[in-house]
Amino acid sequence: MSKSIADKKLWLISQTELETWLDGIANARTLIAPRLVSGIILYRQVAKSKEIAWHGKTSGLALVGRPLLSVKEIFFPPTERMFTIQKTGQEIYLEEKFPDWETVVFGVRPCDARGVKLLDALFLDTNPVDTFYSRRRENTTLIGLACKELGPTCFCTSVGGTPDDAHDMDIMLYEVEGGYLVEAVTEKGRFLIPGGEWNETTASTKQLTFSGQFPVPEKGKWPDHFNDDYWMKISERCLSCRACAYVCPTCRCFAVRDEMLAAGEFERIRCWDSCAGENYRRVAGGHKPRAEKGERLRNRFFCKFYYYPEQYGLGAASACTGCGRCIEVCPVGVDITEVLIGLEKSA
Amino acid sequence: MYEPRIIAFLCSWCSYTGADTAGIARMKSPANIRAVRVPCSGRVSPELVMRAFDQGADGVLVLGCHIGECHYDSGNHRAAKRLPILHSLMTFVGLEPERLRLDWVSASEGERFSRIAEEFTGAVRALGPIHWRVSPDERQPASPELVTAHEAIPFPEADCAAKTDAIRRKARELLASNQVSCVIGYEVSRRGRTRPVFIYTPEEADCLVWNPDCTNNLTSYLPARLRPIKGKEPPKPIAVVVKPCDSKAINVMVAENQYRRDQVYALGVACEGIRDPGGNMQTRCVTCQEAVPIVCDTLIGGTTSSFIPRLSSYAREEIDELQNATPNERLEFWLGQFDRCIRCYACRQACPLCNCPECLYERDDSTFIGLGIGLNEKRTFHLGRAYHLAGRCVGCNECERACPMNIPIGLLNQKLTEEIEAAFDFRAGLTITTSPIVTVLSGEYKEG
Repeated sequence: MSKSIADKKLWLISQTELETWLDGIANARTLIAPRLVSGIILYRQVAKSKEIAWHGKTSGLALVGRPLLSVKEIFFPPTERMFTIQKTGQEIYLEEKFPDWETVVFGVRPCDARGVKLLDALFLDTNPVDTFYSRRRENTTLIGLACKELGPTCFCTSVGGTPDDAHDMDIMLYEVEGGYLVEAVTEKGRFLIPGGEWNETTASTKQLTFSGQFPVPEKGKWPDHFNDDYWMKISERCLSCRACAYVCPTCRCFAVRDEMLAAGEFERIRCWDSCAGENYRRVAGGHKPRAEKGERLRNRFFCKFYYYPEQYGLGAASACTGCGRCIEVCPVGVDITEVLIGLEKSA
Repeated sequence: MYEPRIIAFLCSWCSYTGADTAGIARMKSPANIRAVRVPCSGRVSPELVMRAFDQGADGVLVLGCHIGECHYDSGNHRAAKRLPILHSLMTFVGLEPERLRLDWVSASEGERFSRIAEEFTGAVRALGPIHWRVSPDERQPASPELVTAHEAIPFPEADCAAKTDAIRRKARELLASNQVSCVIGYEVSRRGRTRPVFIYTPEEADCLVWNPDCTNNLTSYLPARLRPIKGKEPPKPIAVVVKPCDSKAINVMVAENQYRRDQVYALGVACEGIRDPGGNMQTRCVTCQEAVPIVCDTLIGGTTSSFIPRLSSYAREEIDELQNATPNERLEFWLGQFDRCIRCYACRQACPLCNCPECLYERDDSTFIGLGIGLNEKRTFHLGRAYHLAGRCVGCNECERACPMNIPIGLLNQKLTEEIEAAFDFRAGLTITTSPIVTVLSGEYKEG
């Protein structure tokens, strides 16, 4: 992705300056930001900065809670048309259309940005490169906003993140007294900043220090737990819905199918899929290698902490960013942090 | 001039022959009608009708034999019960009522066929092109919201210690005496969240609790656990903690032969309502008058009474508001709601009555729904699910509670509950009875 800048520059801007800047961006490009939609916050396109879900009614500072769906849906949408197929007589035409519009995402939380970085490992850094994902990634600028505190379900500090981690952003904003500190992290981000108009500053962006709360078993220890009865026990309450996977910033499984649009016209689509679904691993002949929901739930945790890091060379990092969304949406209270504690105890 | 495309499902024995009769007599029928010959009008499942609209039909006409003349005795009874329910569901989400019609034409009634076809085509033509199917590329969805807002009722202080104690005591007793193999109840997690728990020994009973956050309908775990498995011992009875609304699901499941009543030990708890995460009374509880579970082996914290509560709809105002809107406003409202759906199936999985081993809308080879997470598919799923719950839904509203995307799914179920009650004077779960729309017509049936 875009090269990061060696000499970091910082600006201090007011809320009004920020809004003017965002309005300008929204005019020239597609601006996506947290927006309140029927009682929940989602990353959605906004026409002007007033539509963003700010704290308080009168353009108060900072954003209200993090969006319910992660920023993943912008790069890897729930359903994507890969190409259309037209059949006339004996001839078949394929037509591909790639996403090529410039997008700016504002209000990205560090856990979400890290999620995107983790998706890169599969979609960008592994051959073959996923064209749809990479086009979107190239055309998208991430403007982050540091969290001032950990939310009730957040645990990013336990999995190697921090609430003010600027690494995977293009531009990072820090809320401070009197406005925001703006940091250009990459060249791509620097391009969006109207340098001359803003006041430069040398203030420090480090405001708080956080420490991890939950133990994460080392990667090497996970295989020992594969046959634990523990998985069947904790999965008893699991309903096998896919809410956890679909809100997760790093769950990236998809299914591909050709569907008919009209006579002689078809499309190939890919859409989100999840290992929690019973049919996910079904093979020809009807056999389901993960028939029990305990096996499916186990797979979810192994995928986050063992399979994915192992397969895509993440080193000691896990594929969980600690955003806590799965804890929040689970209808029956399955809790990933509790699983981690449980595993650590049984070791 | 605009010419509508109309799909007509014609019963092979009467209406298809009736159409033939019209042709032989050289009567004029509109050329807009594409006839689909079906063995019986009872064969026309709601999925077929929805599929027709999803594929761009401007109107769907279903014609069968007159009641009493069905070649299969009662096939058309099913059509007579199903189609009106489907009709009210589809108009509730924004289909113009004139676009779907059920009628009867016998083999000799060529003139009648011709007249109905003419009438129907005329009515649909007058409406203009249909806006049902949405092209995802073209649509920037707005999210219109309902004006009706329920007053938030702060949850009253409740003393739950006595109920908690009683549940633990009973659970211990049942497990110690080997009456049940497992007790499904509620526990409070490390994080302070109340959630389902499964206990197998008397010692574990101390984790059971009762509090105003016991929202899950625990009966949804029963069908899978009580299903007999070939070559294995029949499953032992299970005790389950139920609220009044939850308990009715047991009646429905027993009526549908999913398990036997003696396989379930219902620990009924007298309920004063459940809290939402904001600390207010859940909307479904505000109008609920059922304090005591209908299905109950031991009653905890209340006195058994023969009082059959007045059943009320918690979504009365919302339903009225939508009913009073124009079809197009309703369509926009629901598309705005379904747009948020991510097809995570939390609603279906949390539902105590969605118990098909494989969901019709999730099958790989489903011809009724695509794989995509697009608006058309999402709407088909939700309407199909609501329809499948007609006359079965007990109103626990767990689907809506489980939905991470805040979609008012419960409105669809409530609407159909009202329809069923108006048509059949029936409420699901009060007794061990199957849904009236899966049985034959009783008494005298009046056409039209």
